[in-house]
Amino acid sequence: MMRNAVVFAWVLSVGAMLEMNAGEPIDFSHQIVPILRAHCAECHTGEKKKGGFSMNTRESFIAGGEDGKAVELGNSAKSKLIASVISTDPDAQMPPKGPRLSAEKIALLKAWIDAQLPWDSGFAFKRPAYEPPLKPRRPELPLIVDGRENPVDRILDAYLAKNKLSRTAPIGDAEFMRRVSLDLTGLLPEPGALEKFVADASPQKRASLVEKLLADDTAYAEHWMTFWNDLLRNDYAGTGFITGGRKQISKWLYNALLNNMPFDQFARELVAPPTPESAGFGEGIRWRGTVSAGQTVEIQFSQSVSQSFLGINMKCASCHDSFIDRWKLDEAYGLAAVFSTTPLEISRCDKPIGKNAKAAWLFPELGQIDASKPQPERLKQLAALLTHPENGRFTRTIVNRFWHRLMGRGIVHPVDAMQAEPWNADLLDFLAIDFSDKKYDLKHTLRLICTSQAYQSKVETLTKASDEHGYVYAGPRARRMTAEQFVDAVWNICDSAPAKIDAPITRGKADSEAVKNVELRGKWLWSYPEGSDNVPKPGETITLRKTVDLKEVPTRAGVVVSVDNSFVLYINGTKVLEGSDWFNPPSASIEKYLKKGVNTFLLVAKNGGEQPNPAAAFLEGRAKFADGKEVQFATDETWEWTKTAPDGKGHFKKEPADWKHASVVKSTAAWAETAHPLLTSNLATAVYAKAGMARAALMKCNALMSALGRPNRDQIVSVRPSDLSTLEAIDLANAQTLSDMLAKGAKKFEAESAEKIAQSLYLQALSRKPAASELAIAREALGEKPSAQSIQDFMWAVFMLPEFQLVR
Amino acid sequence: MKNTTETEHGTRRDFLKGLSAASLAALMAQAPKSFADEKPIEHPKPTADACILLWMAGGMAAPDTFDPKRYLPFEVGTEVKRILSTYPAINTSVDHIKICQGLESIAKVMDRATLIRSAVQPDLGHILHSRHQYHWHTGYVPPQTVAAPHMGAWMAKVLGARNPVMPPFISIGQRLEGVGESEELKAFTTAGFFGNEFGPMVLPYPDQAAQSVRPPKGMEGARFESRNALFRKLIDKNPQRDFISDYQQESMLRSMENAYRLLSSKERAAFDISLEPKESYDKYNTSRFGQGCLLARRLVESGARFVEVTTEYVPFLNYDTHANGHTTMDRMHKEIDHPVAQLIHDLETRGLLNRTLVVIASEFSRDMLVEGVPGSSAKDQATDGKVDIIKEMKHYGLHRHFTGGTSVVMFGGGMKKGFLYGETAVERPLLAIKNPVSVADLHATIYTAMGISPKTAFDIEKRPFYATQDGKGVAVKDVFA
Repeated sequence: MMRNAVVFAWVLSVGAMLEMNAGEPIDFSHQIVPILRAHCAECHTGEKKKGGFSMNTRESFIAGGEDGKAVELGNSAKSKLIASVISTDPDAQMPPKGPRLSAEKIALLKAWIDAQLPWDSGFAFKRPAYEPPLKPRRPELPLIVDGRENPVDRILDAYLAKNKLSRTAPIGDAEFMRRVSLDLTGLLPEPGALEKFVADASPQKRASLVEKLLADDTAYAEHWMTFWNDLLRNDYAGTGFITGGRKQISKWLYNALLNNMPFDQFARELVAPPTPESAGFGEGIRWRGTVSAGQTVEIQFSQSVSQSFLGINMKCASCHDSFIDRWKLDEAYGLAAVFSTTPLEISRCDKPIGKNAKAAWLFPELGQIDASKPQPERLKQLAALLTHPENGRFTRTIVNRFWHRLMGRGIVHPVDAMQAEPWNADLLDFLAIDFSDKKYDLKHTLRLICTSQAYQSKVETLTKASDEHGYVYAGPRARRMTAEQFVDAVWNICDSAPAKIDAPITRGKADSEAVKNVELRGKWLWSYPEGSDNVPKPGETITLRKTVDLKEVPTRAGVVVSVDNSFVLYINGTKVLEGSDWFNPPSASIEKYLKKGVNTFLLVAKNGGEQPNPAAAFLEGRAKFADGKEVQFATDETWEWTKTAPDGKGHFKKEPADWKHASVVKSTAAWAETAHPLLTSNLATAVYAKAGMARAALMKCNALMSALGRPNRDQIVSVRPSDLSTLEAIDLANAQTLSDMLAKGAKKFEAESAEKIAQSLYLQALSRKPAASELAIAREALGEKPSAQSIQDFMWAVFMLPEFQLVR
Repeated sequence: MKNTTETEHGTRRDFLKGLSAASLAALMAQAPKSFADEKPIEHPKPTADACILLWMAGGMAAPDTFDPKRYLPFEVGTEVKRILSTYPAINTSVDHIKICQGLESIAKVMDRATLIRSAVQPDLGHILHSRHQYHWHTGYVPPQTVAAPHMGAWMAKVLGARNPVMPPFISIGQRLEGVGESEELKAFTTAGFFGNEFGPMVLPYPDQAAQSVRPPKGMEGARFESRNALFRKLIDKNPQRDFISDYQQESMLRSMENAYRLLSSKERAAFDISLEPKESYDKYNTSRFGQGCLLARRLVESGARFVEVTTEYVPFLNYDTHANGHTTMDRMHKEIDHPVAQLIHDLETRGLLNRTLVVIASEFSRDMLVEGVPGSSAKDQATDGKVDIIKEMKHYGLHRHFTGGTSVVMFGGGMKKGFLYGETAVERPLLAIKNPVSVADLHATIYTAMGISPKTAFDIEKRPFYATQDGKGVAVKDVFA
């Protein structure tokens, strides 16, 4: 504000001075504005700023564009603007097209520049675009009306009242259960649970259901993998993986969702990865060959962080100052330089400009990055600034994405253009501040929305012209099922899910009982007992060995390992696990690596640091057998060690001759205290976690999923297509994969009556009973003794119903 | 919330019956957005209605196909640097145009062709087929920050279908699953940000194409029809129908209806190459590529807009000759020679050639020695062919990727006949020395023939995205008749 006041004052005084000195003053509004409107406005006013040059305000006019200043105040002869309106060179002239300016108009412009660009106070060609607030804001909640207590409803009820709109109509229990189950776990409700829920008389039942769904950590995580894989462009196959130019974050992401990692920590671990497990997001895709300056990994980092976490499209600004928002080339590169480990030269439109970028972040009002620090330190600073308590952009962006997922349209829309004005700032700001109040608990925000009356309302009826005159809230909008939801639903109903998943993860979570029953018996080992004169050196590496004799192949087995500082574990000549974060010990299910008889475990343990420092290795495992028996194994004095390291496949070129018994490290309190809880729960997960049917979100994309809109994740995708295309419909009509699923599904219903099939299928697929008219159609289609073919066709027809394919 | 009135109610119930072919055509041919700083786009008058792209995947060596140079036969002890072509030149039906031995049938139809010998590609550092293929097919060098649409998608989007039941963009011969670099191939075999409605119908096996438009296996005509009838009945009797967002429902149902219409149409027969008379079928039946040419002809006859037929890109196979190039080229000549010539004959006989643009192109050419272009940082990728002196047959062939001068052949669709454009050097490096044609300009030429302005742009993330890079492609005027 201060700054504007000063400028205006100055403009007025210039104007006053002109009037006194120049005899015939220039009339800005009547002489200049029409010229600019006629010849320049199309490209240089409002949101348009070709070449980075905006004529919106006197300030922007003076600032010029990418090619420098357009005017030299008081010197029209030296002003580029005059040169280009006079020029006849098609490459240099302005305007580039359309009629040339008359000599009279050019004379007026010259006079205007010579007179120091007088400008009417407060005039702008267009008001500056909406600039969203950065800081969080705590809106005052309107009074509760009619007992509608949920803050979302308090805000929306006030909005509806103010805009004289009627409240949205509530939905029934069955409809609610279908909607909320799909939204929170991606799965349709089971008919039994549905009937029980509908019959339940408890007034709290909807809230309890939301609670129950959110508490199903596995189903929740496996459903939300879809959303996060899209947003963080992670997948199990895709461009870049072929050459190792891209890393998955699948395991990290899965566990983060499974344990509902607070979102501020989540973002920090992606931006400044504490372990390689979450590094793939920031590292992006290292393309082979030469890429344009706008697609280096550093610039990808800038674009990805901006888009995923801040709803900023940095793609324009990574090539030149953006024409569509406030972001500038320097800022895009500043963020890129945070990530860059070498000096990063700025390129404009793919041409180097001879200037290096300085590491910086986008909202210096919250603090700045120390560009002189090494990269890991800079990333930590960035992570801290991104998740700064005063960074409302961070929280607004994610709650807006969630609102969009659950309600069908963003409060700011599109969701990647967070610079745009929300249709209800109170709602957005409340959700955002409430989210940070609740320690960035993603499930909290989902719970808050799902328990609101707003969410539990009938979907809005859309027409083609629905948003033509701006958006007006009228309840949630129906959403198309994701490819994964569709496939999961069909797999579930048809019993046709694959046996194995593609994602490199251990599914599920051990229940608390299983965790409680795990008692660690392993000891922390090194090659020699510690002592004041024999502290392990940095980089000191030993190989620990143990053979485990198994009477048969176990049905399930798991292992957990922690080594200060890093390790690689080989079982029977296969690399099984590695890790470099001793207080965050990885575990794995290992039954597929084990065999009947002697199994060899090789644990290559390496010390880190820069000075001699304590080192130790810990491993513990369990193997369960068909008869219910269990074998335990763990690091102890019976393990042996050698100085020789095996090759990358866990083999020794020559069997080492120096195997000796390992020593138990005595003072292990620090390790035990920090690592034991996670060692216990991770081991329990690897051995005891249960997970149901394979989920589509854990599979590589196939033709059917691709036909249903699952994207290629080369780019960040935050919104999937809402329409079914003709080609997709062809696939749904004749894809073999779908036919095969239906064939399996039909078997389930064989020997059932038409009525029973229709009842059962409608309940499973649509969460309702068929109407009499629908039953009649089913009887007609399925006949007295339904054939496998007729059942398949009936199932197909039900799966094709918009009622099935929409989350509504 | 506004209630649905009875009248609207009635209209919606009749919706399925009301779907007309015209509505699809209208839907698909949305007017491109013009930008404030540009005049409304004026599309050129088309000289072609359909386009067949014959894609020589893997880098077809111009000196061994359409741009013969000094020929040295295979001989142990020959210095590699002396060899430019591994085939002698032969005469064609045009006096001043010679092409390589092995392409005798194509030689006879060169009087219907415009031959461009000066297509050039950018130096992208390390040579990668998939990147150059992405560039050639979308007009943009990957990676891009948005998913760029394939050329066929541009035609589908801007021109729409010629025949409303026929998918406007069909891709024949390229498997997208189970082959090397399949993810990279998928990245450009797509409508990108235009959305799936404009994406390719992918038919990897021409002899199985009929299955893609046939009801699922084991579902004969009557069952397919009754299944669809059942679906319609369930829609019309659906008690929820009027409570769901109608616009969304309708667009979903429209797509279902379009699909059904194609799958039960007479045009479906065009996809079935087994229906082709044996004599004609045999002329095409050299390979999957040959069959693809036949399929393309049948599809264009039935109203397809854009069809790509590829010899198929599989790393180190087909035109991707890192070793044993000459032997492989013998096979490739046999695969393409008859079908291409027959395609031109058939289109001509049916009176379609004048309005069908057939383009033979590849991501780049090949050379015996030069990788990329002179001065490129591209590293040598030849495998067994890396020798100075020919010692055995596998050393004989053009094993390096060359981006400095590539041949493109165009037939029909308003191009000149028996016309030669551009020229490459007589001696190595075989760079285009006259009238170089960039990918953008080549695309501008193709789009112009099809009646699409090279400056056509659509808005994505508030930025204009042009048919040719930055709208700067300029059609090569000289090649138009």
